[in-house]
Amino acid sequence: MIRHRLLQMLLLAGALAVSVLTALQIGVVDLPLWSLLTGQATDPLPQQIFWQLRLPRVLLAGLAGAALALCGALLQLLSRNELADPYLFGVVSGAALGATISSLLFPALALALPAAAFAGALIAILLVLTLAQRATAQGMQSLSTLLLTGLAVSFCASAIASLLLYQADSFAANRIIFWLMGSLSHADWLAVQLLAVSLVITLLVCSLGRRQLMALAWSDDMAKSLGVAVARWRLLLLLLCALLTAVVVAYCGGIGFVGLMIPHLIRLMFGGQILTLLFGSALGGAIFLIWVDTVARSALAPQELPIGILTALCGSAFFLLLLSRRRSPNE
Amino acid sequence: MTDTSVLLQCQQVQLQLPGGFVLGPLSFALTAGKIYGLLGANGAGKSTLLQLLAALKSPDQGQVLLQQQPLQQLEPRARARQLAYLSQQQPPTDMTVQQLLQLGLMPHKALWQADSRADKAAMEAALRQVGLAAKASALLRHLSGGEQQRAHLARVLVQQAGVLLLDEPVNHLDIRYQHQLLATLRGSGLTVLASFHDINLAAAYCDELLMLQHGQLMAAGTPAQVLQPQLLEQVYGRPCLVDQSPFEQHCRVTFAPERR
Repeated sequence: MIRHRLLQMLLLAGALAVSVLTALQIGVVDLPLWSLLTGQATDPLPQQIFWQLRLPRVLLAGLAGAALALCGALLQLLSRNELADPYLFGVVSGAALGATISSLLFPALALALPAAAFAGALIAILLVLTLAQRATAQGMQSLSTLLLTGLAVSFCASAIASLLLYQADSFAANRIIFWLMGSLSHADWLAVQLLAVSLVITLLVCSLGRRQLMALAWSDDMAKSLGVAVARWRLLLLLLCALLTAVVVAYCGGIGFVGLMIPHLIRLMFGGQILTLLFGSALGGAIFLIWVDTVARSALAPQELPIGILTALCGSAFFLLLLSRRRSPNE
Repeated sequence: MTDTSVLLQCQQVQLQLPGGFVLGPLSFALTAGKIYGLLGANGAGKSTLLQLLAALKSPDQGQVLLQQQPLQQLEPRARARQLAYLSQQQPPTDMTVQQLLQLGLMPHKALWQADSRADKAAMEAALRQVGLAAKASALLRHLSGGEQQRAHLARVLVQQAGVLLLDEPVNHLDIRYQHQLLATLRGSGLTVLASFHDINLAAAYCDELLMLQHGQLMAAGTPAQVLQPQLLEQVYGRPCLVDQSPFEQHCRVTFAPERR
């Protein structure tokens, strides 16, 4: 059983390696990949393109996909709701609001946008957590409270952002709207490092706390009766999710449906066991977003498609397919 | 009060639920090594009482003591090493029987600790006790209702707590496993408080019975003391006959059928 699951993960990891290598080869400029990696290439231009543009971009695509899918899987486990994803907890809207404000106030500052998006995401999730905790203390059901608060904060942030955009000049508005559609063209090594560290920490916490997660995914009462500090674990995991999503949104903008679709797919393919689901989602999300980004930057080259549009298209097609498959046995 | 054999004690415990239902005030003590049966009609407060004792709910007034220590002051993991709880309904999950049992070992484990050889032996022993040794790697949701219930009972056993709080443990079990399980509990030397709907089963296996009605303790004592026809009719709303079972002479209750 364990060996079987390990094999599945190794297969996914192999697919990821192949995806990375293939994606590195595809682009506007043909790169001599082998000589670049072995240091035999001497021409500075391909070197620069490879090390400063293409490699960080492919890595960021993989990491962002892994982060979003892992967040989706974790939030689905914690909320015991297969439809939970980072959008539902107000993180993305909070980030968008932060980005909007920064674009209007400091349009010239390049770093202001990701920084403000990050701040917005963190404020949103903290707001959701505090409000939900207060409502729960007054005797409301903790799960539905969390989801409702997430929706409320999400809509509120979106409304304020829309109002600001409506009042803003069209140049700033265009910039923000394009950012909200998602793009990996701002990829740099700092983003790659930040996301890699957050991802490793989250996966480590999940591996160590696999029993706690299993109990939490089951029911609060079960977890409590097994001695799990329920509130503390839930807070830790939610904060890690917020961190991951905030970094992704800050650097890549709005990329929807990955957190919702990939865990579903992994559950369909490999079953819903906790570690398989989490690690499988991370690997699957990485593979998925690397390919989507490759299409986004090469389909209409040299023009780039916003990646959020492509993921949303894939997501809706996937769920329509799921719907038709689910209906057929009853007919 | 200073009796050292008292494991779990309720002192004037009272709790009001959001719907207005009031449990208590209740006072009673559970002695080490005895099997207690919790009886009462639907909505009498059996599950709420078990949740209170398992520290899943906090009383509005009064306190629950575990070995003279207030339950709410115990560190969660330390409490879970002494108190195991089985709820009435288990949501289906993507978990194997083996993983369920690993959860039972959780209170004894640090985060980084893997299962030792002794743990594996304990899990196998618990599975044998409930007759599920062959299904260790089966997914819970692929098992029948009774098998799931037995897997959960194995989880409770593997938790190695001194006190077991079981909400309708023989629910879903066929006759053979009802008896086998209760015999296992009797032979274990553990202190057990379990709720029952089958009064005769409770009378056959429990040392003492507690009878709840509308959140109040109506009677407590040996089956012969508690199972009085008047009280049973008052609680369950049906006339009944109490005599002795031909086996081992414990109380037998037969309710009059309702005819329309």
